[in-house]
Amino acid sequence: MSQLTLNVNGQNHSVTVSDGSMPLLWVLRDLLGLTGTKYGCGIEVCGACSVLIDNQVEHACVFDVTSAVGKKIVTIEGLSPDRSHPAQQAWIEHQVPQCGYCQSGMLICAAGAMKAGHHGAAIASEIHNLCVCGTYPRIKQAVAKL
Amino acid sequence: MKTSSPLAPVPTQPLSRRDFLVRSAAGLTLSFLLPEFRGFTDLRAAPASGGPAVPINAWLTIGADESIALTIGSSEMGQGSFSGLAQILAEDLIVDYDRVITVQGGPTTAVPAPIGTAINTVGSGVTRSNFWRLRDAAAIAREMLVQAAMNALGDPTRANYVINNGVVTHVPSGSAQTYGQLAGAAAMLPVPVSAPLVPDSEFRLIGRTQLRKDIPAKVDGSARYGLDVRLPHMVYGVVRHCPTFGGTLAAMPAKPAGMIAVVPTRVVAGTNRGLEAVNNFNALVVVGPNTWDVWQASKRLSVKWNLPSNVASLNTTQFVNEAKALASVATPYVAGGANLPGTLYTVEGNATAANAAIYQGAAVVDATYTLPYVAHACMEVLNCTVDYVAGVKCDVYVPTQSAKSVLTLVLSLTGLSASQVKVYTTYLGGGLGRKSEVDFVSQAVQVGMAVGRPVKVMWPREEDFTHDQYRPMAVIHAKAGVKVDGSVTGWSYRNVSPSILGQRGAVLGAKGDSQGIEGAQALPYSLGARVTEWVSHTAPIPVGFWRSVGASLNTFGVESMIDELAAATLADPYQFRRNLLTDPRWIAVLDAAANLGGWNTPLPAGRARGIAIGTAFNSIVAEVVEISAATSTSLKVNRVSIALDCYLAVNPGQIESQLTGGVVHGLNAALYGKQTFVGGVAQSKNFNASRMIRMNEMPEVKVALIPNPAAADRTKPLGGVGELGVPTFAPALANAYYKLTGVRLRSLPLFPNATMGGL
Ligand code: FES
Ligand code: FES
Repeated sequence: MSQLTLNVNGQNHSVTVSDGSMPLLWVLRDLLGLTGTKYGCGIEVCGACSVLIDNQVEHACVFDVTSAVGKKIVTIEGLSPDRSHPAQQAWIEHQVPQCGYCQSGMLICAAGAMKAGHHGAAIASEIHNLCVCGTYPRIKQAVAKL
Repeated sequence: MKTSSPLAPVPTQPLSRRDFLVRSAAGLTLSFLLPEFRGFTDLRAAPASGGPAVPINAWLTIGADESIALTIGSSEMGQGSFSGLAQILAEDLIVDYDRVITVQGGPTTAVPAPIGTAINTVGSGVTRSNFWRLRDAAAIAREMLVQAAMNALGDPTRANYVINNGVVTHVPSGSAQTYGQLAGAAAMLPVPVSAPLVPDSEFRLIGRTQLRKDIPAKVDGSARYGLDVRLPHMVYGVVRHCPTFGGTLAAMPAKPAGMIAVVPTRVVAGTNRGLEAVNNFNALVVVGPNTWDVWQASKRLSVKWNLPSNVASLNTTQFVNEAKALASVATPYVAGGANLPGTLYTVEGNATAANAAIYQGAAVVDATYTLPYVAHACMEVLNCTVDYVAGVKCDVYVPTQSAKSVLTLVLSLTGLSASQVKVYTTYLGGGLGRKSEVDFVSQAVQVGMAVGRPVKVMWPREEDFTHDQYRPMAVIHAKAGVKVDGSVTGWSYRNVSPSILGQRGAVLGAKGDSQGIEGAQALPYSLGARVTEWVSHTAPIPVGFWRSVGASLNTFGVESMIDELAAATLADPYQFRRNLLTDPRWIAVLDAAANLGGWNTPLPAGRARGIAIGTAFNSIVAEVVEISAATSTSLKVNRVSIALDCYLAVNPGQIESQLTGGVVHGLNAALYGKQTFVGGVAQSKNFNASRMIRMNEMPEVKVALIPNPAAADRTKPLGGVGELGVPTFAPALANAYYKLTGVRLRSLPLFPNATMGGL
């Protein structure tokens, strides 16, 4: 058992894990109750679990919680308090989600690309996540003006 | 914008009377008499769970506080039908769409069922099966509210009243009352049998794109899917099946340190499929403090399984060889006979006449098409959360397309009474047909009963891929004769596939499994003498309903064959089809797709187009697929143009989304989708071995909807939308591939060995 402090969405959280190699995904979802970050594949193929760690897009399903200590973690819940992040606004305007399950990861990737200074189609080319529902064209439309 | 709450509790107790109206001082509540929609009619005969049809499944509450709530019994899995129903209601109630709050209803076994109870969400059926009845109910509610206003003002002349967004104004006096103010009095009035609908020419909402109500919650992480359910004191379970279908637990392993329990789960009645027989202990669920620790403990368990005696024969190559043999020789169905796997069912026509006619053609095309088993791979893995207290209650939180089947199952497993069981349908991270099954629910209930505390049970992605109920494999043998002028002299079509309905206990009649031949029967093409046959193939592997079901198999067979006939006469594939059609709706859809896809405009070198048309769920659909850069391992799909006639389009923007999604689904399956078996073990275990396209591979998709009728005729069926993008993609792709390469693609997927790297 080890006790760790994680900075998630601007707040420090103390968590106790039995296994320091527990992926951040399950710490967020099961221990901190932040279920907006999704499990899709667990092997870094789908991107549903994307989070920002020190402004970089990372896959929480393979990111050891220990390595996240001391870093700034942003999840979908932390993108804005009120759906006001420009990407969230664009997603609503363009009615992007279908089932919606992959969209936390999509939005985090868009936000990460924006943080890195990308705009429009360059944001889309940074998003490689899977969407089984096929929302890709609407994502492209949504990021076009970001 | 108000958002729906997918977890609002709904009572499961039956009402004592078949009340249309629940009178309450707080406002007006109407329950609608809506038919339970069954997408697959022959399942009605199946003895499986379900009980009698539930006649009532949506309800409307108008509160004194001006709230308007519509409780919906279907499931929201991204198809947007919650919003579509709200749109239909708002039209005839004459209120703004934004004011309608949608609430997820629960299931019941009671007949007649109480208000707001759940139905099965299958067969692209939510909007089309509820359209007219929901409109009627909204109109009746509206006229009761107007009647209350007339009574209050003492002027019974209906023409003196106008309604605007839920405000009833008496024009002569200018006196205005809101629905909220009128609801209490309206609740005391008799219910009219019918009320006039808003004329089509005055539609504000139907036929116009509206914003979906579930979307805001899907951009901030707050939408709660099944896997997101958290209950106080909840523990976590992770499923591990015997890797081999039909295998059973040989010995119970010891409970690992730090874990709460290891629970063996059995196959319960109604969830048995293929070799997964009732009472087989085919899985273990390790239970512990969090998903990760439990999953690791589950992986480390050393478990011994007893394998089925025929394990050596459970191989894809053997399945395909058997099916190919049955494609030429099979034993005809005998009424009252055993009709074992390998039985030939004649669905329409006569083989002797068709075969004679085929040889009247100048050319005879004889082709065999092969389709693989395909997994559903919903983005959200299977999961279910159960809170069971012995003798007291069982609450079930589940992403299900069949809340009523869940309820029936829970009642039978727990022995609790209906009032002690509550089923909460969460949002679904994709359903695709897989979440209409309840095998995963039965496991969670067994675990909940064993541990006696709230438990969330999850299938890791590897279990989801390897223990699916797959789209059935199929071998399709088609033969037809064609004259030089393009007329078809005879047509013989035989589909060999495992039976979906047979695995669900249906006793197949002389025409076999309707799903086996869906999309190949009653074709509107002029085909001369025809015969359509289905052969039941041995079905050890679980099969199930996969988005568009039989149509996804047979539209590939039919539309590839039609294209081969066109090629045999050197005809243009679009004109060839057009010449064989007389049905104006089919011709209009074919033309619309061809126009949208620029069929007659020349393409740059290295590009080619293919076309296909088909039908499913009362809609007609055609696609033109444009491709380039074909190599032995990849190709580029540049554009897909899709035209749909669903008779009446309620929310065009949402239909465009659904059709685009269907195209992607069809594309993933046609290029890469397959599950193969070696010794009864599924080989593709995760997305890396079951490739799907990413954003950079997405083709441009254009959609054309056949315009709505000027005045919709309620005797005409509305068509489905959610599954319609799928079936014509694969044949249109194969037809484009032939045009581009000269190679006829008769076996799907095109790239069976494709894999997908990490991000
Ligand atoms: S869950 Fe992490 S990439 Fe799929
Ligand atoms: S919206 Fe359903 S998987 Fe992307």
